Amino acid sequence: MPGITLRDVQKSYGGYTAVTGLDLEVRDGEFLCLLGPSGCGKTTTLRMIAGLENLTGGSLAVGDRVVDCPDRATFVAPEKRGMGLVFQSYALWPHLTIEDNVGFGLKLRKVGRAERKKRTQEVMEALGIAKYAGRYPSQLSGGQQQRVALARMLAVNPSVLLLDEPLSNLDARLRLEMRAELKRIHESFKTTIVFVTHDQWEAMTLADTIAVMNEGTLQQLGTPDDIYERPANRFVAEFVGSPPINILEFGMEDELVQGARRYLGQRHPQISGAGSIGIRPESIRIETDKAALREADFSAPAKVSGILPTGGSWIVELETGGRAMFMNTHVAPRVSVGDRLWLQVPARALNVFDARGVRVAAADEVLSHAAA
Amino acid sequence: MTVASALAGQGGRATRLLYRLRIAMREPTTLIGVVMALLFAYLIIVPIVSILLDAVQTQFGDERRTATEVGGWTGYYLHRTFASPIARDMFWEPLWNTLSVAFSTIAISIVLGGSLAWLVSRTDMFGRRWFATALIVPYMLPAWTFALAWTTLFKNRTVGGQQGWLESLGVSPPDWLAYGRVPITIILALHYTPFIILLFGSALRRFDSQLEDSARILGAGRGRIALSIILPLMKPALISAVVLIFAKCLGEFGVAYVLGLPVKFDVLATSLYRNIGSRQTGVAGVLAGAIMLLGILTLLVDAYLVREARRYVTVGSKGSMNRQSRLGPWRLAATGYAGIFFLVAVGLPLLTLFLSTVMRVPARFTWENFTLDFWIGRNLDTVALRQGILLTPDFWAAAWNTLWIVGSASVVSGLLGLLVGYTVVRTPFRPLGSFLRQVTFFPYLVPGIAFAAAYLSLFAVARGPVPALYGTMWILILALIADQMPYASRAGLSAMMQLGKEPEEAAQVAGSGWFHRMTRIVIPIQKSSLVTGVLLPFISGIKGLSLFVILAVPSTDVLTTYSLRLVDYHYTQAANAVVLMVAGLAYFGTVAAQKLTKTNLAEGLGG
Repeated sequence: MPGITLRDVQKSYGGYTAVTGLDLEVRDGEFLCLLGPSGCGKTTTLRMIAGLENLTGGSLAVGDRVVDCPDRATFVAPEKRGMGLVFQSYALWPHLTIEDNVGFGLKLRKVGRAERKKRTQEVMEALGIAKYAGRYPSQLSGGQQQRVALARMLAVNPSVLLLDEPLSNLDARLRLEMRAELKRIHESFKTTIVFVTHDQWEAMTLADTIAVMNEGTLQQLGTPDDIYERPANRFVAEFVGSPPINILEFGMEDELVQGARRYLGQRHPQISGAGSIGIRPESIRIETDKAALREADFSAPAKVSGILPTGGSWIVELETGGRAMFMNTHVAPRVSVGDRLWLQVPARALNVFDARGVRVAAADEVLSHAAA
Repeated sequence: MTVASALAGQGGRATRLLYRLRIAMREPTTLIGVVMALLFAYLIIVPIVSILLDAVQTQFGDERRTATEVGGWTGYYLHRTFASPIARDMFWEPLWNTLSVAFSTIAISIVLGGSLAWLVSRTDMFGRRWFATALIVPYMLPAWTFALAWTTLFKNRTVGGQQGWLESLGVSPPDWLAYGRVPITIILALHYTPFIILLFGSALRRFDSQLEDSARILGAGRGRIALSIILPLMKPALISAVVLIFAKCLGEFGVAYVLGLPVKFDVLATSLYRNIGSRQTGVAGVLAGAIMLLGILTLLVDAYLVREARRYVTVGSKGSMNRQSRLGPWRLAATGYAGIFFLVAVGLPLLTLFLSTVMRVPARFTWENFTLDFWIGRNLDTVALRQGILLTPDFWAAAWNTLWIVGSASVVSGLLGLLVGYTVVRTPFRPLGSFLRQVTFFPYLVPGIAFAAAYLSLFAVARGPVPALYGTMWILILALIADQMPYASRAGLSAMMQLGKEPEEAAQVAGSGWFHRMTRIVIPIQKSSLVTGVLLPFISGIKGLSLFVILAVPSTDVLTTYSLRLVDYHYTQAANAVVLMVAGLAYFGTVAAQKLTKTNLAEGLGG
């Protein structure tokens, strides 16, 4: 199973640049998620890997074979790349039965009838669609169609499986089931998988590695934990997480911000420049009693301005320093709207960004000591 | 590969160009597109340029008048058409007639069609379902069917040949009722009313009733809602119906020819026909140019108005249910109104035509007056055409020609349409796609008769390797293909757009090459739209007249031109019989196509 290497990949349509300067390596057997808002270039990237779009610049290799490189006038047609691609719309062929849909690739590879039948049957059984073999796609439900689309690709045992938001048209429950299914498939087939999604939870739960993209550029490449806990910049911090991360500008007249700023400035003079800090909603604690605050934590007085139950957890809207912050808790908050209290944040939970919005690594160093 | 490796790693301009070329030529799509672009340039653009050149270049035989050599530039024809003493008869009168007929037609069809559309789609009138189909029938029949029925009824002594029914009953209809503006307008109005019913009715049906409900909740009465909510929102549908009718009236030939000729009532189309008939090639060029210009202007106005009107969205999702008004005591009257329209627009003309073909003397309803001689008789007591129409070889020749010419043109244009759609959607080379889209749409702006004149201008004589095609079937087939391309390419394009590229891309990633994808994925999926794309032009081609009338010669007559020839010779019964058969073919063809594709084709009948 080969890996995929993208080097300085560019893609533009006329004047519009979809992807720019993309360097990305997908290791052999890895499950990589391309995550980003719509229009960020993630689907374009996937289509370039598949060969359905050609590069404007840079190079793309599968294993050690360059499949697309304008500077060397190299282009390998999609039908010769031996990949599998599952579309968001499934793209099942409406004029073929489920069995013929699944067997299409095998037929193309001139696999004998008996062998084909056997292999098709296997894959359909693995995905629980064997009983629909004789039906047409329009007679199946969305979830079943989705499985057919997967089976169609798995039947030919592709070296690389590309998935373009394959779960976005399913309802919540089915989506959960299919996620588990996908993970199982990845483990049993050991296929290299590139998965495109705008759903952060999907990316978090499925991927070995997540590549967050925005406006055609790679924002961060890392494990799900990296992405969530150490976002490389403000975009990643704000895109990942729900309720979204609280961003506080350094310039704000707020006890919490000023406290953090003073603390950082004393220990690392470079950090005191303009910037912002991000705090995940679940790392905020509230105390009604000032005496109960932990010395090492940063804190500020606040007022409860709203409580939103979300079923099993609560979002508490707090007003501090003239702006709203959201806190997320799985313990029923024993406060009511209008209460005045204290919010506190452990030092380790602060994400510090410089004026350009890039994460300040030095600050992480300093803050990790504060926690200890 | 050797060239590529020679340049490998250079990253120079040449390499990039090679890369782009390789991408563009990777699949035959672009190549096919280029070939089609050349073909359509020749079939569509060149004829039009040719006839426009005719208008400003001295034609053979006119050297003395223009004082230049043949082919020299001259303003003579422009002057002759627009400013000379005969300009009035040749251009300004026909222009006025065309415009006044068109606008009266539009006014009448809006009143009739608007009210019928409302009755059919939004009320509890009796037999709504039946009427929804029945009221469209006039549009499925050729317009000049009605013209022949009209002459059968109202023809007076002004013209020779068999008398009209009224005349033989002793009532002599005045000329204004028998010929010219009045009957032409009435017939065109009846013919185009279904158009309004279709467009307006479907807009009414899709109208989001939540919009109405909101107004009602705010306290608006029914009249108020109709006036300030529904009508303004119906504007786009109304505008496009009006513009389309106007464009069709511009090129209308058959009705004006049959009913206008006896009283020298000319419209632009018949004036063009006369000038071609009298070999006034230069003037014909000017007239054809004028008709095209009007056509183009009309559609530009349409594009502008529709763009203005598109700003509001009237189609709702769950609100678009079919809400009916209760007519109460008016229910019966409304049904009667729709019934009368059907009788006048369909029943009466068809019955008249049919009866005229089985009666010896018009309007005498006695048993011995009925005969099948005009259909299957032999040794009739006439000067020529001494046998019934079904025993006349010329008729079968025309029927065969129709099948051959219209059939092959429809198959070719259906396939080309799908290919155009495919190329436009798929080619990585965008300018090619947009060129193809525009060039295939262009004949839509050019009324059939002007287009036919353009073909005549280009193919009447041998040019380069292309022999003179006039007098052969080829000129008819080529002209028909080009004329049908707007519909065929739209159909192909919308089919390909609807399909989306994913099913094909899925096959591609699975390892399927271009040809395999075409034969296994694209064409099988598009089978039904291909059938529609062939059937629709076929039906509209069968009843088409204005394109053929200029290009056909007796040996290449199709049914429509053959019947027109019979009209010219005053073989009333024979002409009526042929027209009846054409109407029957058109009607049953449409119904069969609807059954076959399980769609409502009446809406797609553009021809």
